[in-house]
Amino acid sequence: MKKNRSGLVMLGIVALLYLVLGILHPDKTVAALWTSLGVLKMIIPILLLVFFLMALLNVYIDEEAISRHMGEESGLKGWFLALFGGILSHGPGYVWYPLLQNLREQGAKDGLIVAFIYARAIKIPWIPLMITYFGWTFTLVYTFWVVAGAWVQGIVAQRLLRK
Amino acid sequence: MKQKLKAAATGTLKSLRMIAPMLLAIIGLIGLFKTYITPEMLRALFNGAALHDMLVGVGFGGISVGQPFLSYIIGGELLKEGASFYGVTAFILAFVTLGVVQLPMEFSIFGFRFALVRNLLSLLFSFVLAFLIAFCVRIFT
Repeated sequence: MKKNRSGLVMLGIVALLYLVLGILHPDKTVAALWTSLGVLKMIIPILLLVFFLMALLNVYIDEEAISRHMGEESGLKGWFLALFGGILSHGPGYVWYPLLQNLREQGAKDGLIVAFIYARAIKIPWIPLMITYFGWTFTLVYTFWVVAGAWVQGIVAQRLLRK
Repeated sequence: MKQKLKAAATGTLKSLRMIAPMLLAIIGLIGLFKTYITPEMLRALFNGAALHDMLVGVGFGGISVGQPFLSYIIGGELLKEGASFYGVTAFILAFVTLGVVQLPMEFSIFGFRFALVRNLLSLLFSFVLAFLIAFCVRIFT
């Protein structure tokens, strides 16, 4: 991962935003801070899981294996891995970014990472709720098109991002 | 093996330390967005016309943040209020696939070119897939 200071700059901007909004709307801003703490509490277990997976990946899977399963020559198996990985991955997308970048740096192709991120639009734990609100037909059609869309998007991204 | 484990743990901690400020900033922004942008504000913007509602759906889905189930609940309510199915589908898709709030983190981790291509494609696909999904649902029901 490239080292840069954008995180610190961004954190400074957000802190300043809280300060200004805190002066203008103190109650709402305190509520926002509590909401943020709630989000932090929710993502910590997922974050731990992601970093555990990252460590495992670094110990047990070498670059050669990654480029074989997710690299230029990975073929259908690579797409299958990316789409299923995306569907099964849990929690907010940004928590997975460091792991995905790690895979990229070790030879995984860009299209697969793009497909993984888009396939995350299917959230297995929330499918019953989607059926309740929109019905079976919508849920099945949505799932089909999101998987197809993630695949096509991966292929297009791979062409566009080819070095 | 022990050495490999140690190196992996050090590397992982290093990446955690590197993303921590950006992660905290994004989480702070999520709190602000959840508090300041309410479902009522969204409801007022849809008018039932497919193209208009798709544009509004993608726009607001892209800047809204939260658990995916929120988009289903808001989407369900929007439908009841007369928003078009195309618009609601676009809203749900953009809600779960686009994230204006987390963009800075995506750019800083993946680099400019990758993040730009991915987000532009996701933006385009929110429209295309919303149209295809709503169209197919209409045919099947």
